[in-house]
Amino acid sequence: MEQSGTSTLLQGAVQDLASSVVSALRSGDHTHVLPAGTEEAGDVTLAAVRVLGADALLPGTLLRTPPDPAGLAVFRKAVEAYPPRADAAPTVRWSHWAMARALHRADPSGTFERPDEPGTGWLDGASWQFLTHQLAVLAPLALPGEDDGVTRAAGRRTVDVARGFVRAVRRRDWRQAAGAGRWLTLLPGVPETLGLRAGLEFVELMGGQDPQVALQLEAARLLARTGALV
Amino acid sequence: MQTEDKVLDKLAGVRSADIEAALDPAEADGVFRDSRECAGLALFAGGGKLLLSPPTPRPKKG
Amino acid sequence: MTATGTREIREVAEHALAWTDAHLAAFALGEDALSADGEVDHSWKPLGELAQVCATVSHHTAPQDPLHTRAAAMLDFAWGQTGEGELFRHMQRLEPFATYPLEVYGAFASAGYRHRAYEEAAAVVARTRSWWLTEQEPTRRLAVLSAEERSGIRRAPVEELLPAGTWLAGRPEPWTFERDAGYAATHVVFHLTDWGRDPAGLPPALADYLHDWLPAWLDTCLEAGMWDLSCELLSVAATVPRLTGDPALGGAWERIRAAQRPTGALPELEHHSGDTEAAGADDDPHYFMNHYHSTLMAAFAAVLTTARPGGPAGEGTEGTGRKGPRHSGQGAPA
Repeated sequence: MEQSGTSTLLQGAVQDLASSVVSALRSGDHTHVLPAGTEEAGDVTLAAVRVLGADALLPGTLLRTPPDPAGLAVFRKAVEAYPPRADAAPTVRWSHWAMARALHRADPSGTFERPDEPGTGWLDGASWQFLTHQLAVLAPLALPGEDDGVTRAAGRRTVDVARGFVRAVRRRDWRQAAGAGRWLTLLPGVPETLGLRAGLEFVELMGGQDPQVALQLEAARLLARTGALV
Repeated sequence: MQTEDKVLDKLAGVRSADIEAALDPAEADGVFRDSRECAGLALFAGGGKLLLSPPTPRPKKG
Repeated sequence: MTATGTREIREVAEHALAWTDAHLAAFALGEDALSADGEVDHSWKPLGELAQVCATVSHHTAPQDPLHTRAAAMLDFAWGQTGEGELFRHMQRLEPFATYPLEVYGAFASAGYRHRAYEEAAAVVARTRSWWLTEQEPTRRLAVLSAEERSGIRRAPVEELLPAGTWLAGRPEPWTFERDAGYAATHVVFHLTDWGRDPAGLPPALADYLHDWLPAWLDTCLEAGMWDLSCELLSVAATVPRLTGDPALGGAWERIRAAQRPTGALPELEHHSGDTEAAGADDDPHYFMNHYHSTLMAAFAAVLTTARPGGPAGEGTEGTGRKGPRHSGQGAPA
């Protein structure tokens, strides 16, 4: 598939941002993940924040540290600059909703209004392959203690997500494997035989040089420590 | 300046589609390759006379 | 996608056996079956596999069923190739410690084709300590044990012979699945269940394991165009009670149907099928070798699938995974 110049530019920016998140998750210092203010953040950066979604705030969310106001302003600008169109795909809508939720959590006193939760009808009766792919794309939703529609849908189909993880590793689709693996660290009733811990290590070995893979694996590591879904 | 503006316009125009594509990606094609099997090294060395005799000693270098 | 029902799956078997019948001559034992330097994999192995699949097909179909008639006739043909079993006796004189004649014989014996003198002779060798001490892959050992049981010469009940040491029995991380592990796993199941005849022979822990992971293996094998292994996995799926009719297998039979050639042949692998087919099929010795096993396995899987009381696997093409009633693990086809 031929990629446009902007697409390449955007992908590069997303990778850079993902790398910063990975560093922050590893070091515990997340003040420099996002640009220090909306003036500094160019269009491509804002777009990259939108693409990385709620995970741009993941260090603060998982490490439970107070948000950096300047970075938060950039995040908010990205949320507001790229609202989903009316006919947007479910993953686009949900990723935007997840950002709004993250923003609200990070700054409960802020003026930002939370949009309504999108529907989950597109996952009803989905094959386990499709379900896993969609969940992996929506990996930023995989957080401890959440109770949104996608999380509930995932929680009803643990074995199917685990099958999707197996399939993703077999297909060497490391991003999907990492995203599914992050979900599995939270889901109840993962079959023991899956060998999730070894599986995540394997995905890191094979695909960990991709910052977007590394981000999911780092998130999974922290989630495994902080506990499962309630 | 004019050219730069055009580039920026183009960037802005393409970007929402790019963002949507990045947020709703198609699944990557699967890549499959199975491990190959390498018969015991003695099999190669002995030309099939597996384990019948130890490998011929070679003179040490240096 | 449209659902693939019992009738469509049955057609896969019908077409596959029609191809097999049309290529029966290629299964005939030639001189190299007995010569010291003949390739056993090109003679005894195909014949044994023909016998096994025909034994399964005739076991699972009613006597008036055309599938049954055809399978029974081909089984007769195969037995005729062995001189009604005489050749096994002959082979034993030539290679008394070889296991493959007994393994092939086991397929016939399971269908009621017996040669008592050979069984007695094989039992003599099987009583040696050496027979047991021969170093074999664990899956192969299971095959030999199973053949001994089928031939009435074994000593220990199969319940005691857990498939210890096999990849499957260790219930390894399912994402490490590859071709060789897959073939080892399917054969462990074949031996434990007497080639699908006795699903209860599968220990519950392995049935659970296969229930969870076989769908992902099957899906990726289908995507890779590994039709032969896909059919073996579909055969196994038919013997795992909780996978019967499971939507997690959705669409698999449709993909097999699409891969099956108009002649009824199913290539072992999609990507190397083009060469031999383009080269003028029947004249090319590779054509037979690249097609016979997967075609037999297609018939085998289809008959096991349609014989299961729960109906075909993957009849609904989309679904929610683990809903629906769990089968108790019983309900073996008569």
